[in-house]
Amino acid sequence: MTAMLEMHAISKRFGSVHANHAIDLTVPAGRIVALLGENGSGKSTLMKLLFGIVRPDSGTIVFKGRELAAQSPKEAIAAGIGMIHQHFMLVESMSVVDNVMLGWPAAGRWLRRTEMATRIREASVRFGLELEPEQLVRDLPFGARQRVEIIKAILRGADLLILDEPTSNLSAPEVSSLMAVMRRLKDEGRSVIFISHKLGEVMEVCDEGIVLRNGRVVSQFEVGSVTRAQLARMMVDRDLDGTSPRAERPKGDGVLEVEHLTLSDGQGRTLLKDICFTLREGEILALAGVDGNGQTELVETLAGLRSPSSGMIALAGTDITAASTKARLAAGLAYIPVDRASTSIVPAMTIEDNLAMRDYMSRPWRRGILLDRHAFREQALAYIAEFGIACTGPAVTADALSGGNQQKIVLARELGRRPRVLLAAQPTWGLDPGATRFVIDQMLALRNSGAAVLYISAELEEVLMIGDRIGVLSAGRLEGIVPRSEVDLTAIGMMMAGAARERALGNDRRDANR
Amino acid sequence: MTGLEKQMQARDTLPWPERVVRAVGAGRRLQYSLLAVLLAFGVAAFFIMLSGKNPLLAYWLMLRGAFGSADAISFALNKSTPYILAGVGVALCFRARVINIGGEGQIAVGGICTTWVALHCGAWPGPLPIVLSLVAGALGGALWSGIAALLRIWRGVNEVISTLMLNFVGLLMVGEVLNGPMGEVGAGFPQSPVVPDSAFLPIIWPGSDLHIGILMALVLCAIGAMLLWRTPFGFGLRLIGASEPAARYAGVSLARSMLLVMLLAGALAGTAGGVEVLGVQYRLIEGFSVGFGFKAVAVALLGRLDPLAVIPAGLFFGFVEAGALAMQREIGVPSSLVNVIQGLTMVFVLCSIGLDKRRKRV
Repeated sequence: MTAMLEMHAISKRFGSVHANHAIDLTVPAGRIVALLGENGSGKSTLMKLLFGIVRPDSGTIVFKGRELAAQSPKEAIAAGIGMIHQHFMLVESMSVVDNVMLGWPAAGRWLRRTEMATRIREASVRFGLELEPEQLVRDLPFGARQRVEIIKAILRGADLLILDEPTSNLSAPEVSSLMAVMRRLKDEGRSVIFISHKLGEVMEVCDEGIVLRNGRVVSQFEVGSVTRAQLARMMVDRDLDGTSPRAERPKGDGVLEVEHLTLSDGQGRTLLKDICFTLREGEILALAGVDGNGQTELVETLAGLRSPSSGMIALAGTDITAASTKARLAAGLAYIPVDRASTSIVPAMTIEDNLAMRDYMSRPWRRGILLDRHAFREQALAYIAEFGIACTGPAVTADALSGGNQQKIVLARELGRRPRVLLAAQPTWGLDPGATRFVIDQMLALRNSGAAVLYISAELEEVLMIGDRIGVLSAGRLEGIVPRSEVDLTAIGMMMAGAARERALGNDRRDANR
Repeated sequence: MTGLEKQMQARDTLPWPERVVRAVGAGRRLQYSLLAVLLAFGVAAFFIMLSGKNPLLAYWLMLRGAFGSADAISFALNKSTPYILAGVGVALCFRARVINIGGEGQIAVGGICTTWVALHCGAWPGPLPIVLSLVAGALGGALWSGIAALLRIWRGVNEVISTLMLNFVGLLMVGEVLNGPMGEVGAGFPQSPVVPDSAFLPIIWPGSDLHIGILMALVLCAIGAMLLWRTPFGFGLRLIGASEPAARYAGVSLARSMLLVMLLAGALAGTAGGVEVLGVQYRLIEGFSVGFGFKAVAVALLGRLDPLAVIPAGLFFGFVEAGALAMQREIGVPSSLVNVIQGLTMVFVLCSIGLDKRRKRV
C-alpha cells in the first residue's frame, strides 16, 4: 500500500518544552489513522506542523510523494490537506454554498452559485453528507455544520482530512453518521487522521493509530490487535515513583458537601450531571479528566459564578447553593480560576490592586466609604515578601510579570485569606517546572494546615501526585473517587476516555432496539 | 490591552515625592491629547488659507477673543461649564465600558426639570430656589439615563442605542413643553418665561457674567476623581472596565455598578442643563443645549477618561468656541471652524489611542 503522507523525525520545541520529539507518522492511502494522547502530549502541535501553521525545527514531511516545503495553510490546502477544526470556521448568516465558495480562488472571479450548488449536491449524495446548498448555516445542527466543513475540504480537493476531536460536541446519531462519512472517504482512497480521546470511537472506525505522550510516539498499533484497556494504559502509563511522600492525616470532618449537583446550559445540554462528593478538612481531592468535560463548569458553579439547575452545595454545614460569590468568599471559599489572562489577574492594574481585587470591600483595605491606599500598599508588600513575587514594586502593572509570578499573586490573594476550602482549577497551567513546584507545595502546605482543596487538572501526573483522593470528570459526571493508594491507572485511563459513558450509551441503544 | 486602558488602571497613591514623578508621567501621557490639539490647529490653518485669510491672524484674533478681556474669559468659562459637568459623567461611564452617549437627552431633560422647579418656587427663601432647581435637574437627567440603564439590565438593550435614541426624545420634549405648558405666552418663539431672579446662579466675578457653575464643575470633578480612585465603587468600575470576568470573580455586581454609574452620569448631565438655564439663558429656550452632550463625550475622551483631566479638556472646548466667535466678527472666518478644529482634535486623539494599541501589540 502506498503511503499518502510520511512525516519523518519531526521535532519542535517551544522554549524549553519539547512539544514534538522525533515523531514518525505514516498515513497510507485509504486508511483512517488515529492520533491518541492526553492533553499536552503533542497532538495539536503535530497537526499544526502538518497543516503549515507552525514550522518544525527539523524533520521532513512527504505528501503524495512530494516534499511539503510548504508551510502555510494555503499551500497545505492546495497540496490536498484539509483540516476540520473543533471550532468551525463558518459564517452563520450565509448559506452552505456561500460558505463553500468563501475564500476559495477556484470558485472563480465570477461566482457561479448554481453550478457550485450542483457540485455540492453531487458530493453530498456521494459521501452521504445530506446537505442542502441553499440552507443557512445558522439553521443547521452542529453535526451538519461539521459536514459543511467536510464538504468544503473535499471540494477543494483534500485527499487527507484531519479531524480534530470531531465528535466532542456531537450527539450519538451524529457520531455514527460522521463515521459513515469517514468510511466513504476511505473507500474512495482518501485518508483521514482522526484525533480523539474516545477509545470506543477509535476502535470502531480507525484502522491503525499512534499514541503520543510527552511529545514522543510511545506506541503504534493496528486496531485489530489491541484491546481498549491496552490503549487506555498506553495513553496514561507513567512512572509513579516520582510522587512525593507526605504525612497521612487522620480523616477530618466534611467541610464542603456537594449533593446531586446538576447544571445545564440554556439550550438543554447537560454540562454537569448528578455530582456528589464530600471534601474533608486536611485533604486534597484531585479530579482528572480531559479538558471540556465539565471541569470549568464545576468550579464555577461551586464558586457561585453559575447557578446550578438542581442539587445542593453546603460549606461547613451551611447551605450556600444560592449564595453570591461575595458571600461564599466571606464564608471561607477561595477560588483560583483557570483563566489567568482576564479573570484571576487584571493585567492592566497594579500588583497591589490585583492583590486586593477580591477583598477590597473589607478591612483593612476599606475604611468607611473610602479605600485605604496605605493598607493596599502594606498588604502588597507583605504578600510580595511572603510569596516571593519577583517584581520591581507593588505599583507596577501586573502585565510586567511572568506567568509564574502572576500566579503567585493569585495564590497570595487566595491563600492569604486563610480559606477553609480552596477550589483550584489548573493552577499550574502554562507555568515552568519551578513555578509548578511552588504552586504544588503551597497546595500541600494549605492541606497540612487543615484546609480542604479541590484540585482540578488535565495533567494526570499532577493529579496523581497531589491528590489524597482521586476522581475523574468525564462528560460532566464525576466517576469513581478512590484513595490514592487504590489508584488503578488502567481504570482511570478508561474513565478519562469516557468508557463508562460509552457503556451507558451502549445500554441505551440496546434498550432502544428492544 | 491598549495604552489607554493601561493608563486608565495604573494609578494609585504614593508617598509625595513619587507622586510628583507620577504626575509628570501622567502629563506625558496627556501629551498625546496636546499633540492632537496642535495637529488639529495645523490642519485647520490649511482650511483658513483656502478661504483666503491669514491663519496666523485668525488664530491671534481667536486668542484675543478668548482671553482678551474679563468678559471674554467669563464667557468662555461659562461655555466650558456644561462640557466639564457632563464630560466627567461620561468619563466615569466609559471607565466601566458603559457607553453612555445620551448626554444630549439628559442635559435637555435636566434643563426642563430645572426650569419647571425654578418657575414654581422662585418665591421660596434664601438659596432654596437655586438648590431645588438644580436638584430637580440632576434628578431629571438621572431619570433619563436610568431608563437606558434599566433597559440594559432587564432586557439586554445595548446602551449605545437606547441612550442615542433617548437623545432625540429628550431634545424634542424641550420643544414640546415650550410649545405647550411651559411656553411664554405671546413670545412668538419657543421659550419659557424668564425664571425668577431668586433662581439666578450667583455671579462670582463682579462686573462679568461668570456664574458659580464653573466652581461646581471643579468640585464635582474632584469628587469624581475621588470616587474613581479612592472608593470601593470606583474600584469596581475600574475592574468592570478592565475585564468583566474578573469583576464577576471579584464579586462586583455588574448590574448595580452599571445602574449607579449611569444615574451618576445622568445627574451630572442634568445639572449641566440646569446650570445652563439658571446661569446663562435664565429661561428654557428651544435648542439651548444642542451639541453639548456629544461635546461632553469628546471632552471625556480628550481628557483620556481621567476626571481631573476632563477639566482642561472642557476648558479647551469652551475657550476655542468663545475665541472663534470673536474671529468671525473681526475677519469673517466662519465660527463653525471650531467644529472642524474640535472634530480634527478627536480624530487625532483617537489616532493616538490606536497608535498606543499598535505599539503594545508589537
